[in-house]
Amino acid sequence: MADVAIETVTLTIDGVPVTALKGTLVIEAARQMGVMIPHFCYHPKLKPDANCRMCVVEIEKVPKLQTSCSTPVAEGMVVRTATTVVNEAHKSILEFILANHPLDCPVCDQGGRCDLQDFSHESTPTTSRFVEVKRIFQKEYFSPLIETEMNRCVQCLRCVRYCDEVMDVKALAPSGRGTMTEIKHFSIHELDCEFCGGCVQICPVGAITSRLSMYEFRPWMLKRADTICTYCGDGCQITIQTKENELIEVNSSHGAGRNNGDLCPRGFFGYHVSTHPDRLQHPLIRRNGALVQTTWEEALEFIAETCLSLKLAHGPTAFAGLIASRCTNEDLYVFQKFMRLVIGTNQLDSSARYGHINGVRALLRVQGTHRWTIAFEDIVSAHALLLVGTNITETNPITGLKVKEAVKKRGAVLVTVEALQPAIGTISNITNLAAHHVTAHPERFGDAVLGLIKGVVEEGLVDPSLTQRAPEYVKAISEAVRCLPWSAIEQATGSTSSALRAAARAFADAPRAVILVGQGVLRAPGGSGVTTTLLDLLLLTGHHGRPGCGLAPLAEENNDQGAVEMGTVAEFLPGPGDLTDQAVRERIAGLWKEELPQTPGRTLMEILDDARAGTVKVLFVVGENPVGTLPHAARAKEALERLELLVCQELFLTETAALADVVLPACSYAEKSGTFTNTEGHVQSVRQAIEPVGESRPDWEILSALSVLLGYPIEYREPREILKEIRSLISGYGLLGPAPIPPRPDAAVVEGYLKKGFAEDVTSRYSLSSSTDRQAGNLTLVVAQSLFHSGKLSTRAKGLLELQKAGALALNPADATLLGIAEGDQVRLSNARGQMTTSVQVRDRVPEGQAVFPEHFDQEVRRLLSVSPDPQTGAPYFKTTQVKVEKV
Amino acid sequence: MLLEKYTDHINEILSRYPVRRSALLPLLNLAQREDGYVSESAMKEIARILRLTPSQVYEVVTFYTMLNLKPIGKFHIQVCRSLMCALVGSDTLVGWLQARLGIRPRETTPDRLFTLSTVECLASCGTGPMMQVNEEYYEQLTEEKVDRILADLKRDGTCSLKSGPFMFPQPELQQVKR
Amino acid sequence: MTFGEWVKTITFYEILVGMKSTLKHLINYKPVTLQYPHEKRTLPDNYRGMLALLRYDDDTEKCVGCDLCAAACPSRVIKVISSEVPGEPTKRFAKEYSMDMTRCLFCGLCVEACPVDALAMTREYEWAVYDKRELLLNKQQLLAIGDRSFQVREKRLELQHPNVAFFNVSFKELPQKPS
Repeated sequence: MADVAIETVTLTIDGVPVTALKGTLVIEAARQMGVMIPHFCYHPKLKPDANCRMCVVEIEKVPKLQTSCSTPVAEGMVVRTATTVVNEAHKSILEFILANHPLDCPVCDQGGRCDLQDFSHESTPTTSRFVEVKRIFQKEYFSPLIETEMNRCVQCLRCVRYCDEVMDVKALAPSGRGTMTEIKHFSIHELDCEFCGGCVQICPVGAITSRLSMYEFRPWMLKRADTICTYCGDGCQITIQTKENELIEVNSSHGAGRNNGDLCPRGFFGYHVSTHPDRLQHPLIRRNGALVQTTWEEALEFIAETCLSLKLAHGPTAFAGLIASRCTNEDLYVFQKFMRLVIGTNQLDSSARYGHINGVRALLRVQGTHRWTIAFEDIVSAHALLLVGTNITETNPITGLKVKEAVKKRGAVLVTVEALQPAIGTISNITNLAAHHVTAHPERFGDAVLGLIKGVVEEGLVDPSLTQRAPEYVKAISEAVRCLPWSAIEQATGSTSSALRAAARAFADAPRAVILVGQGVLRAPGGSGVTTTLLDLLLLTGHHGRPGCGLAPLAEENNDQGAVEMGTVAEFLPGPGDLTDQAVRERIAGLWKEELPQTPGRTLMEILDDARAGTVKVLFVVGENPVGTLPHAARAKEALERLELLVCQELFLTETAALADVVLPACSYAEKSGTFTNTEGHVQSVRQAIEPVGESRPDWEILSALSVLLGYPIEYREPREILKEIRSLISGYGLLGPAPIPPRPDAAVVEGYLKKGFAEDVTSRYSLSSSTDRQAGNLTLVVAQSLFHSGKLSTRAKGLLELQKAGALALNPADATLLGIAEGDQVRLSNARGQMTTSVQVRDRVPEGQAVFPEHFDQEVRRLLSVSPDPQTGAPYFKTTQVKVEKV
Repeated sequence: MLLEKYTDHINEILSRYPVRRSALLPLLNLAQREDGYVSESAMKEIARILRLTPSQVYEVVTFYTMLNLKPIGKFHIQVCRSLMCALVGSDTLVGWLQARLGIRPRETTPDRLFTLSTVECLASCGTGPMMQVNEEYYEQLTEEKVDRILADLKRDGTCSLKSGPFMFPQPELQQVKR
Repeated sequence: MTFGEWVKTITFYEILVGMKSTLKHLINYKPVTLQYPHEKRTLPDNYRGMLALLRYDDDTEKCVGCDLCAAACPSRVIKVISSEVPGEPTKRFAKEYSMDMTRCLFCGLCVEACPVDALAMTREYEWAVYDKRELLLNKQQLLAIGDRSFQVREKRLELQHPNVAFFNVSFKELPQKPS
């Protein structure tokens, strides 16, 4: 941070003078100069514990050996790490540790990358003076995915501390005392936690290992590929380890990528998707009503012929395309180029439409950027954080870790507006860390935000320079919020006015403040408006435009941001540039050496409507699954059945692919190279880990081959060439540095917004949502993402299925008591659209009056949901509804 | 449930500490006095009261040997096995008790009367070998004394041989001096 | 020339001395060449012949599938695919084990590397074959070699030594690894 003076001290380590920052630990200073002091319990992410005593060093003028992991450097300190005394100490400590270690290295999965093994090889004789029988722990079942072998434990407690300090889950505990200390969950119960795999990664020995890859490998056999996880927008770097084209395990080394080596259950255990036995291996074509295996040539020729004849008959407006934003930037770019040049239509959309577009449109409107103006580092160093509708631990776990780090390690003030309430549970709950929490109804996040703005205005926290710069803006908003009575806000949010004022003050007083907006807002009605209002909050408190401050909409899919920037949404060209912007059109046309189509873009819901109406006759679907995602009320199946040609590029035979005329097998992320753009706008490379499964090919190759057959070749030799072309359109795109360089808000756009832009919808944004009071006995059903599943593929990962196999309705204990329901009971949910039965979980964190169901097991639930597209952005909203819950 | 039964007492305990977690040991003590041991449901409830996870409560319970995780017998015999008592034969004492009761340390007799355990120093070093039965001390034990104590406990629920905890010098010596 | 020298000269004494060995063999003939298929040489005790996998006295395989033999092998003869024993959770074994004996140089490093003494070099050497593919030996073949070469078997290792705490033991009450 720039506001802290950097102090350094100079010390000598092994005779070499070293300069280190004040407060650095001796072990870190030594590491910086290339001396590795052996250690078990020390880890840079954790607070020093100094319990293993392995890292002792000699420090001049200190009579005894000191633990280098807990001694900060001091001016003029003289440290020796390799003297006889130190070596003797290491030897005796290892002898003590090995007195109880079973030495079953041959059958231990850690053998070959074990710290204990390495240090023993370095410094001990092969004999021990201990003749006593080794301790043996009673073997207890731990969990289906994590295996413990406590006999191997060196009791460094890294796992326990990681679980507490970094993950905030606190699921592991050292039970017993002395040499009989063992790592357990709660008593003999099976482990029930976030399953982030952190304990597996951080264990220096083989005491905690992954059961999923157990005994399949030895570390030296593994081939590594650093790539990017596809399960959410955080863009974590993962290292896929393979053995002879088989996926063995995934991990992430400390300090690597934007996640700094931390992972979530999806990243750590969800990698088996690519080699699932149900993967499509060959192209399929519909013959006599059934999909049968065919060859690539036949499939592509059939598509080309049909397309050419339909184009001749109906023109390019009869074509449309949908792509999943889980594809690489290269795939997305080639897809939109294919649709625009080869087909000649702008009717294409991607899954960024489900919510991310709301955030992007708000950012573009107010500050002229399509990306965050902050990076993860700014979240960590923020003084105040406002989380609105994020449920961040479950949707974006690694961004959640940054928030946890800011709060737990740096003392940031956390304000949360969530459809959750603070409660200790088996998975961490971000509202537990909040200094100010508003339990908002999932459809009324906007009201809570208005309450905060009212608090800012009434407490006199409005930035005086803004009042000078844009008096009308401040006046209009002040008046708008003054018209809102506190009583109505209190009723809508369930918080008192004093609590909201206190939260507003805490947020406004912080020098650096960051707002994170999650799916709760972006995927709910008025998502774009609430995001704009949150930007108003930043503007009013004077944080907007200050370094390290900003608003960050969290992307749900790994490449939502890339989909927007590659121009695979209805309203944008690559860049993203507006589809109607003549200057952008000319520049792109110049680079492509071809005129761009004139037709307007159509959003996902509009394309489905057109298909139902019969105007769209051909649909290209790449990895997208509208039938399996949208509720039955959207009538997506009906729309797709009316098409004359439906082409799907898919990994699995999804609900949508089952309706297709031709299904082309595509590669998963593990089998192709390219780039992903994460939620903060950092472009990171995806590297191929295994050979393509069966005959599958990367999506861009398929589209490229089709373009040749359609008489307009777009050909590339490799994904790098596509990236080069993208860079010619968007200069400097994806320079692949260690961290993104966030853009600055466009001053002209902000000025325009403050002068005029705000006025167009200020009245509609600054009014409380119409109160849709639920009827007695009805609950608000929220279909939400769960920690263990995300995206369209996770339900095929065996590890994740082991953690969550089926959906269950989560209820507040009070509601459950009222309805006479206990954990595990069967209930019937019903509303005007239909009914379903499911089982119940009682969870403290679910607020009263709500019922939460995981969206990945919503096949039945989707019958109960209605769907309504946003009037401005066309984003379909279908995540909440009212249901009656009865015990069966 | 503890909270319903001892609401005021628990609130009083909580009010003593600036950090909620600090009230863990007094609450565990309360739970143990209630049931004779710390049950799983009690641990879960204490975790809820203190906003901890059950694992965090469990780790504390397993650390302190005074807290029992299993139901114990009516008489909890705790034999000191620290150095002083060991020198004057606490091992033999444990042997006698094992033979009489037919159980090993950390076990309970089938009739749920006696639980035998070995513990560290009970601060009665001058009068070893000694044992503590529930809250009472029995010191300078011999085989005959052990037989008598066990028989008395079985019959009456108490035994006249109980003493202290006294610091050295012993009470009778003090009386003689006076 | 003395008389003695003269006698030696006329009797070709020097030649007779030179021919002594020859003449001795002429009379007392003993062939050096072994008539191989009919006669066999006595092998030294540390003879390194064909490799074999061994079993314990209760017929269970010794091999724990640790792959150290494959790691030690200088000519990449050995290939091990290890996994959990079906029906015996947390116990490791070699699901597949093969040796390409065409490449083996009988250095014995694999035997030395084996932590459970599951590999041994037998005294078999008559492994000439017409088809090289016959020298690709799988686990069953290697076990069969071990069975016929080593009649006396070791007792099972599990908990045999007090300091080898739970070495590759199965826990029947645990569920099998997810598949």
